[in-house]
Amino acid sequence: MRTFRLLLAALLVSLVAVVGSASAASASGESEATCLAEIASEEHFDPEHLTEDQDKAITACFQAPNPMVPEKNEVIWGAFGFFVVFGAIAKFGYPQIKKAMNERTERIRTDLETADNQKAEAERLAAEYQTKLADAKNESARIVEEARQTADGVRRQLEAKAQADIAEMRTQAAADIEAAKSQAMADLRGEVTALAIGAAEQVVQRNLNDDTNRALVEAYIQQVGASN
Amino acid sequence: MSALVLAEISDKGIAALTYGLGAIGPGIGIGYLVGQSVQAMARQPEAAGMVRTTMFLGIAFVEALALIGFVVFFLGQ
Amino acid sequence: MFALEFPPLSHIVDWPGLAGEGAWWEINKVVLVYAIAAFLTIMIFVLGSRRKELVPTGAQNLAEITVEFVEDGIARETMGEAGVKYTPMLISLFLFIFFTNIFEVIPIFQMPASARIALPLVLALFAYVVYHGAGFRAHGLGYIKHALVPPGVPFLLLFLVVPIEFVSKFLVQPFSHTVRLFANLLAGHILLVTFAVLTSGLFVLKPYLPLALLPMAGVVVFTAFEVFVSFLQAYVFTLLTGVYINAAQSHEH
Repeated sequence: MRTFRLLLAALLVSLVAVVGSASAASASGESEATCLAEIASEEHFDPEHLTEDQDKAITACFQAPNPMVPEKNEVIWGAFGFFVVFGAIAKFGYPQIKKAMNERTERIRTDLETADNQKAEAERLAAEYQTKLADAKNESARIVEEARQTADGVRRQLEAKAQADIAEMRTQAAADIEAAKSQAMADLRGEVTALAIGAAEQVVQRNLNDDTNRALVEAYIQQVGASN
Repeated sequence: MSALVLAEISDKGIAALTYGLGAIGPGIGIGYLVGQSVQAMARQPEAAGMVRTTMFLGIAFVEALALIGFVVFFLGQ
Repeated sequence: MFALEFPPLSHIVDWPGLAGEGAWWEINKVVLVYAIAAFLTIMIFVLGSRRKELVPTGAQNLAEITVEFVEDGIARETMGEAGVKYTPMLISLFLFIFFTNIFEVIPIFQMPASARIALPLVLALFAYVVYHGAGFRAHGLGYIKHALVPPGVPFLLLFLVVPIEFVSKFLVQPFSHTVRLFANLLAGHILLVTFAVLTSGLFVLKPYLPLALLPMAGVVVFTAFEVFVSFLQAYVFTLLTGVYINAAQSHEH
């Protein structure tokens, strides 16, 4: 505001100065016709025989004012025109345009900032999803692994149990077989003994001392069993 | 005076001649100034803007000498 | 030799009044150019700020380019951040001078208003008051010492330096500021008039008719050149205003 007042004062001062200096010069700015008429109205004026002074005066009438001398009207109008332009631009034009430019700058900056923020947010979300995805993958892998391990354990256990069962059954079977065999042997031996005795009785037809016979047969059977 | 006079020796002729003489100095000055500025701009293109502004200022100052001669011609009329 | 009717130089830029001949408010071609230049300058900003779009087009674009150009290219370049507050003044100077200049090549008008000394004088004096005002505001009464006594000058030399500085800062500076704009445009105008008169002169003289092509090409080339000069002189005037303000208010010398 202070600057504006200073500029206003400057304009007024320069205007006054120029008009003051120009007012003296513009006195000669009369038109050619009035100038010539003035000379013609002089005494001793004879178009055929001009005096040297009159000739000079007539030439001067056609002489345009020196361009180095400011014209009063041009100074006034020029200053007025510039004043109007300056006032309009300083008061309205410049602030308006400047405001529009600043608003645009501000808007573009805000837009860019928003875009940046949104980008950062998107990146953050993406990273988050990535982490989550990786977590889920790990989790599933872990679950699968666990299941496999459990299954393995179960399988191993079952296998071991089956093996144990088989072994037990085999042992049992072997024991059974052994028992059956000894039973069969014992039965067979009794059978054979009875048969042999029966046979011997049949063959010998002599009632020997039963005890002696028996001992003999036993001895024989032992012999047979040993050789068998 | 013959009809084939090309340049009349008159006050005006002398004034024009003098102005021509007076324009030699600024002519040399502006030529040198612009030449050096172009050299500076070619060497440091990143400083071209500054050099250009200064060049125009220099031209304006040197040119004033020639223009004062021009104005003196009118003042002397 | 042929004789060409060449108008006296002072007639080239002298225009009869359209209204109010001889009055203080006399309206001639130059005043008309002022009015149109002022109108155009204001219209750029009026149209530019009417519709605000995100992607500027037309007048808004033009206004924004001008504001940016003057603010960055002139105000900041010459005065640094302290110069931004002078931007409206520099914009008005730049645009008003440019539009008054450009009428040099616009048909029908073909008259740079700055080729009359009135406008350059007014603007230069305006700038004179502004930059000395800025100096006094920045340094108080010490500004006179700041302006006249360069630091690091031996005492005896001051008797020589101070008058020189006074003449150059307070007298020659506004004079050269005025004359630079005025004389450039007047010279350009005379150049164009010379080529145009030569063309028409040769055109009338039948035996020399083919020769008329040369000055005609000159008119075309110099018209293009004068467009450039119009812009450059507006730029230089504004730039120098900035430089002078900076010299007046800077704290380092």
